[in-house]
Parts: sequence; structure tokens; C-alpha cells
Amino acid sequence: MNSVAHVRETGQFGRWRLLPRLNADTLTIFLFLLPTLVLIGIFVIWPIVNSFQLSFYKWNGIAPTREFIEFDNWSRLLRDDIFVKAFRNNLVVVSLSIAIQMPIGMGLAVLLDQGGRFFLFRLFKTIYFFPMLMSSVAIGILFKYIYDPSFGLINPALEAVGLDSWTRAWLGNTDTSLYAVIAVICWQYTPFYMVLFLAALTSVPEELRDASLIDGAGEGRYYWHIALPLVSGTVRTAIILSLIGSLKYFDLIWVMTEGGPSNSSELMATYMYKKAFPSFEVGYGSTVASALFIIVMGLAVFMLLFTRRFETEV
Amino acid sequence: MRKLLILALILVMVVGTGSLASARQTKQITFWHIQVTGTGPELIQQAVDRYMADNPDVEVEVVPMQNDPYKTRIRTAMGAGDAPCVFMSWGGGPLYEYVQSEQVLDLTPYMMEDDYYTRFLPASLSNVTFDEKIWGVPVENTAVAVIFYNKQIFEDYGLEVPATWDELLEVAQTLIDNGIAPFSLANKTKWTSSMYYMYLVDRLGGPEVFASAANRTGGSFEDPVFVQAGEMVQQLVEMGGFNEGFNGLDYDTGQGRMLMYANQAAMELMGSWEASNFLAENEEFFNDSLGVFPFPAVEGGAGDPSNVVGTVGDNYYHIAPTCEYPDEAFQMLQYLIDDESVALRVEAGRIPPVVGVADMIEDPMLSQIMDIVENAASVQLWYDQYLPPELGEVHKDVMQALFGLEITPEQAAAQHEEAVAEYFGK
Repeated sequence: MNSVAHVRETGQFGRWRLLPRLNADTLTIFLFLLPTLVLIGIFVIWPIVNSFQLSFYKWNGIAPTREFIEFDNWSRLLRDDIFVKAFRNNLVVVSLSIAIQMPIGMGLAVLLDQGGRFFLFRLFKTIYFFPMLMSSVAIGILFKYIYDPSFGLINPALEAVGLDSWTRAWLGNTDTSLYAVIAVICWQYTPFYMVLFLAALTSVPEELRDASLIDGAGEGRYYWHIALPLVSGTVRTAIILSLIGSLKYFDLIWVMTEGGPSNSSELMATYMYKKAFPSFEVGYGSTVASALFIIVMGLAVFMLLFTRRFETEV
Repeated sequence: MRKLLILALILVMVVGTGSLASARQTKQITFWHIQVTGTGPELIQQAVDRYMADNPDVEVEVVPMQNDPYKTRIRTAMGAGDAPCVFMSWGGGPLYEYVQSEQVLDLTPYMMEDDYYTRFLPASLSNVTFDEKIWGVPVENTAVAVIFYNKQIFEDYGLEVPATWDELLEVAQTLIDNGIAPFSLANKTKWTSSMYYMYLVDRLGGPEVFASAANRTGGSFEDPVFVQAGEMVQQLVEMGGFNEGFNGLDYDTGQGRMLMYANQAAMELMGSWEASNFLAENEEFFNDSLGVFPFPAVEGGAGDPSNVVGTVGDNYYHIAPTCEYPDEAFQMLQYLIDDESVALRVEAGRIPPVVGVADMIEDPMLSQIMDIVENAASVQLWYDQYLPPELGEVHKDVMQALFGLEITPEQAAAQHEEAVAEYFGK
């Protein structure tokens, strides 16, 4: 039988069904998904496609005409020192976020899991979560004052413990501005991972714990050899969330330094905003946005595949 | 029955909004502005209300917005072909970008009618005049950069208001020796430091040096004047002329003024709007300690020491070419700057850019600032407003690096020149 005719008649190609049989069920599913699909299409897919399209134009965002310049924006991007620096800064944010937030989050989660029965620890759980409840802009302004070299908290605190030589203008110094903001980012996001890990630890069946303790494992060995492997799925999710979040990070950097001084804390997202809006270079801004999209997508897919293999090997 | 009801409801929702709008007989004008602080909203609303009372067939929808979100929203609206009928700008380069993108209506015929333009100070119209046409109406304020200083501190150390740059450096040295930062600067905001540079360039070479470099009429940003201005800036930075860590401080959250209030800094070069910030935040300081003087002369400089940097007009209002009722919109704008509105603005501590405003001002500090403006041989618009937006951003970044001593004055000049030459293709 002619294979094309076969596909046409049965919707099947060899073992693979190309078209779902159109029955009432699939129609219902499709109809229920339609509003979401339309919204995602309009507000997510279309802007991404549109950004890629705009990245081939020189356009200020308001003129009725725009000039098609092929790959000029892309070649400019590859030669753009500031973009390269922003990308490097993003990698610093990614690695420090994962290296600081995950262990502290896990440590706090273990602590709360251990002492969960006591009232004091329930109080701590709430207190630790506070930073997560505040808006980023409020946190940014708060820490701008804390870092203020003349009136802030940090420098006098350092002087009080005899570390006078450590005092500096944290946000005004090109060597420290990025790290000063990362410290605040970690302060804000650690509680999120703490809650995530705590939820995972709580879901580990109590019997496992009892059994391992009876078998002579200490608390430490229980967490290291039993609880942690059991929540590794959550850890993987947390790392990917942190990776993606750090790559497209914007808020605190924008509020606290605007990427400055002299681009020392520039991230890809702040650079994109600066180009697309204050500079009136929507074409080039779209190029930065598209590059950001490619990088985030690529790394996220890589991480998913990599950790999946890791998981099956373990 | 229920299905019918639902169907009917949906029909009403879909058709209803459309038919209601078309049923209105009044003329609709949308008006975006950014006067959201202090008495700003009332100043606009009273004029619009009076206009609507006189013209009942027109309905004006006033939309106040925050400064920074506005910049993004107006551009998005224009890009989408959905600009409001009346909108504001700061004149200069960004406005010219709008004009070239055919987003602004030529107001010359309206301004010429009965010589209406003579109502305004000439300097106020120069920021909205391109290709020999007038594109906007100046309304809100006059803002020039002046040096605010703490009279108490000057008295304590027996200091005189400096008339020249060398005297200023001497004053600065005395202050530094006594542990006080001569100038307070919050430069995360970047345009704050640009004021020192603009004044030094103007004092050293006069306004033509910048104009010929920025308009590509034979000048260059690598002119010795720009390099020398950069050197003088860095000399001031190196001697300790500014507070510590200024590149990380935010002007918008008042981190510069805090140093003034705490007597940790003695002076601040800032737009004259700063007077009302001092008044609103710390009335005692304003009354007892605050004084003002013009930027000092530079010995041997070619620029007229009476020149000022700033803007006469501050906020300008424009009409979009898509506006259905431009005649009505312009009439409404005239209410914003009629005698009654001018009087109210003066009362609110502003200097509207109309002829004869000096006689109406009673506040001593405002009239001192007005004197400086009236006697100025020229008014240099802020570079970041004068230049096209793309170059304005470059300028601000260069300023932050120059003040941070991360680049040399020669590099600063070269970075300006390179960006401008590339933008204009010459």
C-alpha cells in the first residue's frame, strides 16, 4: 500500500501516529488548552519571534520606518566588550548564587527539620522567610542605605570590630559593586531554597529515619546518606531555577547600581534595557535580548540533560 | 433560557463598550504629564478644569506619570502608533528624535498667530526649535545649575564665596583640611557629575566649542578644551573634592543631600529645582544655612562667566500628529501658561519661562537664581538632553568613568568623539 495514502487514511506512519485521532476527547482537551495557548502565543512566543526579527534592523523604537541591516547588530554584539563583561558578570552571579544559596538554604532546612517540634524554631522559620516577602525595590533601597559609606551600617560595624582597613564604598567601587549586590541577592533568595528543601525533607517518610537510627546511623549520616539522595530531585530543580533566575537577573542590580559604576556590575538584562530604552536602540537591544534567550535556553537544556544522565548513573 | 441570557450578556459586553464610546458627542483629548510631586498635579488640573469649563464640548483626560516610567511608556505608545494627543518632553536631542520620527506636530503656525511666541523667554524656545520650526510649548520651570552651599560652614571657617576656580580650589582645600567634603555628589545617577564638566567646558571655551563638536560643524570632542575640563575635574577628585564613594550613591533617593544635612559636605552643584527639595525635606536647614552662588569663572577661559548650564522651560508640551483635535489641544496648552497659571507656578516656587516673570518673584533665593538666568549671555542645555539619546547615554557613562578616575581625560575626550563621529557618520 502507498505509504502516503496509508498515513492519510489512518493518521499513522509506521509505528508513529502523526495526527491524533480527532475524537470528542482530544477536541475537549484542545478547547480547554486554547485560552492558555493563545495567551502564551501572544505574550511569550510572539515577542520572542518579534525580538529575533527586530535584531536584524536598526530602529529607534518610534520611527515609522526601520532599516534592515542584516547581521550588523549580531557582529557588533560579538565585538561588544560591555556585553562580554555583562555575560561574565552573569556567570559570576550564577556560580556564587548556587555556591552560596544552596548550602545555606539546605543547612537552614536541616536545622528547621531537626528542631521543627520546638516553638522557637517555628518562629525562626517565619523570620528566615521574611526577606522573600519584601519587594526587590524596597530591599534595594534599604541596602543602598546600609552600604552608604558615610551613613551606612557596614563600615561602622567593620570599624567596631577593628577591621578599619576593610571599609570601603561598597557600591561605588568597581571592584566590589557586583559582589556587594550578589550578597543582597543571596540574602533575598536563600529563604526560597530553604523552604523548597524543607518541604522536600519533610516529605521523606519518618520510617526511614527511624530505621536508619535504629541501624546505628547518626543524625549526620542519616542526612548525608539517606535524606539528601532522596531529595536530589528537588536540589536539581533548585539549581536549574537558580541558574535561569541568575542569568536573566535584573531587579536588585538595577535598583542598587544600574550596572555601574562604569559597567562593573552590568548584567545582560540591564544592558538590554539600557540599549532598548534610554539609548533608543531597540534593534540592538533586541539583539541583546535574543542572545540572552539563546544563552538561557541553551544552558537550561544542557543542565536538564546533564543532570538527567547524572541521575540515572547514580 | 439560560444559554440565551449568557449569549445576551456576551453581546452586551462586546457591542456595549464600542457603542457607548461612539455615543459620546464630546471631543476627547488625552494629556500625559509628569508633574506628580508637590503642587504639580494641581497646577495642571486647575488649567485643564478652566479650559473645560470654557469649552464644554471638549473632554480632557489628564494622565500623570512618574518621571522614569514615563520615558519608556511614551516611546512604547509612539512605537505602537498610540501616542496621547498632548505629551511632554525635555526638548533637545530626544525631542529631535521624535520630530524626525514624525511623532510631533509642527506648532509654528499656532505660535506665530498674534505673535504668541513673544510671550516666552527666547532661550526657552531654542530647545524646541529644529529646522526653523517650533515643536513645543515651554511651560513648567527654569532650571539652571548653581552651587548650593552651607553658609554656616563657610562662616565657621571664614570662607568667602569663590568667584574664580582657583579660589574655589582654595576653599575646597580648607574644607578638606577640616574633614569636610567640599562637594556632595551622588553619581550612580551619572548626569549629576556631568554638570561640573559642562560648566568647565563652557567657562574654558564658551558654548561654541560644544555646539560645533555636537552638531559636527567643524568642532571635535578632542578639542583641548574638553581634555582640560577633564583634567580639572580629576584634579578636584584627586584632592578629595567630593564625598567618598560618590559613584555608588543615588541622587534620586537623596543620598547626596543627606551629606549636606549632616554637615559632612559644604557645597552641591545642582539644578535650581534642588532648592525646593531642600525646603521640603529640611526647612530649618533651608532657612538657616542654605545659600547659592553661580559657578565661578575660570582664569584665562574664553567663555563668558555669566553663562549658565541648564534649561529654560524644563518640561515642554507637544501635540501628536495623530491628534484629532490639534486646535483644541493647543488652546488647552495656552491655559497651562496663561497669566493665572504663571502666577500659581511662581507661588509654588517655580520660574515659568515667560517674559516679565522676574518681577513676580518674591522669594530671595529664587530671585537670585532668576538674576543669574537673566544676566546669562547664553544657556547651555544639559548635554545628555541636547545630544541624541544614544550619545547622551555614552556621555553619562564617560562622566562616571572620568570622575571614578578609571579613564584619563584624553580617553574621555576620545570616547565622546568616537561615539559622536560614528553616530553622525563624520
